[in-house]
Amino acid sequence: MPTELWTLAIATVTSVTCALCGSLLLVARKSMVSEGLSHAVLPGLVLAFVLVRDYNSPWLILSAAASGMVMVWLTQLVQRSGLVDDDAGLGIVFAGMFSVGILLVTANLRNTHFHADCIVDGNLALAPLDRLEIGGTDWGPRSWVVMCVMLFVVTTFVVVAFKELRAGIFDPTLARRFGLRPALLQFVWLGIVSTTTVAAFNVAGSILIVALMIAPPAAACLLTDRLDRLMVVASLVAVAGSIGGFQVAVLIDVSPTGPIASFAGLLFLLVFAFAPRRGLVAKWWERVQHRAEIGELLVLEMVSTGGREAVDTIVAPPAERVRTIARLMAGGHLHESNGELQVTPAGEERLAAALR
Amino acid sequence: MSEFWSDYTVRVVFAGSAMVGAVSGALGCFAYLRRQSLVGDVVAHSSLLGIVLAFWSVYLVTGAGDKSLYVLIPGAVAAGLASLLLTRLVTRNSRIKEDAGLGVMLAVFFGTGMMLLRWLQRAQPPVPGRSGLDDYLFGMAAATTSKDLWMIGSLGAAAILTMLVNWSRLKVLAFDPEYAAGIGLPVRWLEVLLLSLMVVGIVIGLQIAGVVLMISLLVAPAASARQWTSRLGRMVTLASVLGAACASGGALISATSRNLPTGPAIVVLVTLTFVVSILFAPNRGLLFRRRHLAD
Repeated sequence: MPTELWTLAIATVTSVTCALCGSLLLVARKSMVSEGLSHAVLPGLVLAFVLVRDYNSPWLILSAAASGMVMVWLTQLVQRSGLVDDDAGLGIVFAGMFSVGILLVTANLRNTHFHADCIVDGNLALAPLDRLEIGGTDWGPRSWVVMCVMLFVVTTFVVVAFKELRAGIFDPTLARRFGLRPALLQFVWLGIVSTTTVAAFNVAGSILIVALMIAPPAAACLLTDRLDRLMVVASLVAVAGSIGGFQVAVLIDVSPTGPIASFAGLLFLLVFAFAPRRGLVAKWWERVQHRAEIGELLVLEMVSTGGREAVDTIVAPPAERVRTIARLMAGGHLHESNGELQVTPAGEERLAAALR
Repeated sequence: MSEFWSDYTVRVVFAGSAMVGAVSGALGCFAYLRRQSLVGDVVAHSSLLGIVLAFWSVYLVTGAGDKSLYVLIPGAVAAGLASLLLTRLVTRNSRIKEDAGLGVMLAVFFGTGMMLLRWLQRAQPPVPGRSGLDDYLFGMAAATTSKDLWMIGSLGAAAILTMLVNWSRLKVLAFDPEYAAGIGLPVRWLEVLLLSLMVVGIVIGLQIAGVVLMISLLVAPAASARQWTSRLGRMVTLASVLGAACASGGALISATSRNLPTGPAIVVLVTLTFVVSILFAPNRGLLFRRRHLAD
């Protein structure tokens, strides 16, 4: 398989995994936690690297995921103290941890794999070159294998614990009544989200993780009402974002992470504008139709009580009045005899139905 | 300290970062009290797109790359405000909550900004002056020139002056927006004013603290100051003193060691200040509380 296709494959599997994690964060109203996690894993990653000096050691993933959980724990600690409000606590904690990570990088590892640029926009273009070989067999690019494993873990977790997750997120009190432990479950899934962040960090960098955890689920949320469908739609949006962004990246020859992030965000804006029921255009159209409906009913009522003069005095402006009457006559709800408007039986029925 | 830094440069860096720290510390108090900390994060990240676009369009028009703040700040302000307005449009017209709306704008603005930045860095033929543009990610106080200093100083002073002129109105808005509306204050306009002040406070600091970490310089001094006092006037004063001290300290640390970005150095200092404040502040601090309970 050519390198570009591998890059696209890695981007796709990463984005689906992130979108699944992000869907849970979105419905739990914790979207910005992904912004925190994507920065806070850095010190753990760098620290483990300084100690073991092997970029492929599993200790890196463990240590970085733990670092993400430390951020979650510290944020909760600060919030529970009641001294600082939630947003500020999150912002201060993740920025502080990220800075420690950057300082460690610049102090110790200037010319290694960790470069300040890679931390933000990842290494997606180079990821296919780093192959995973076990016992002489080539299993494909390492990040591809890692992300596939993460996708499997996340999907399995979501499928197995779906009801418990849903109950825990939407109604923690009820979940506790049923003997579930929403706090523990939340801890476990935040752990999984943190591990996903770490796994994706190497290829995607911090921008793309945040973009993929927030934009596709947000778009899906405007397209469906159910959590299971939301996750499927979010994954599809994420795939579309990866493919689109990747094309742009190839076209202008830059690292694909920025374009994919931006594409995922633009897809959200498109959905926001054109979603079937909740989009801006659909809502505007609904308002237009609603207005027309009210106008028609008003004209019918006026004609049946007071004839044309009543219509002329009540229903303004004139152009709209003429259009409304024309529509009603075309629909057979109103007819004109001897210059006088009359409501047809069909029109009376409609009026009665509306007033009922 | 190496011979390379003349005293003059150090003075410029020191003064610039102290001003930035003071202004963002003061304005950050309002962001903090109105629970808009993450708004600041998104504005800072979004500014990158404006910075890159401003640099690029000036290059297209004049044929020269100009990285002075006179060029970049208007772009940053425009992008920051645009991301806020879009977030408002989305959250008002859909069921998307504010945090997700902000996150999406982060993706759009910062993602596009990074894309254009990387493209500009690789474009052929090379755009003159593009090399320091990525210092805006993590901040590089050493790149401040005396021309920039005037820009930072005048915008910062204008923002602080506007804050002082509208002090009592902003105070009511920060603590009780319903009451503010009740006594007939133009709440909408005051909100816009406060957001614009915040945007100005953020963009003048980007060169020194960087887009990624600006949130900390905005919010941490405010959150620290809040622990020591319960009066807005004192809080704002203390936050700007803390902000100025940490920002200039961090800038000097970064200027004296090679390749160390300024942002992280500053943020480590403000975070330490914050930790000390929530532990040791009288009445509110965690240690005080524990002793209080033990008594």
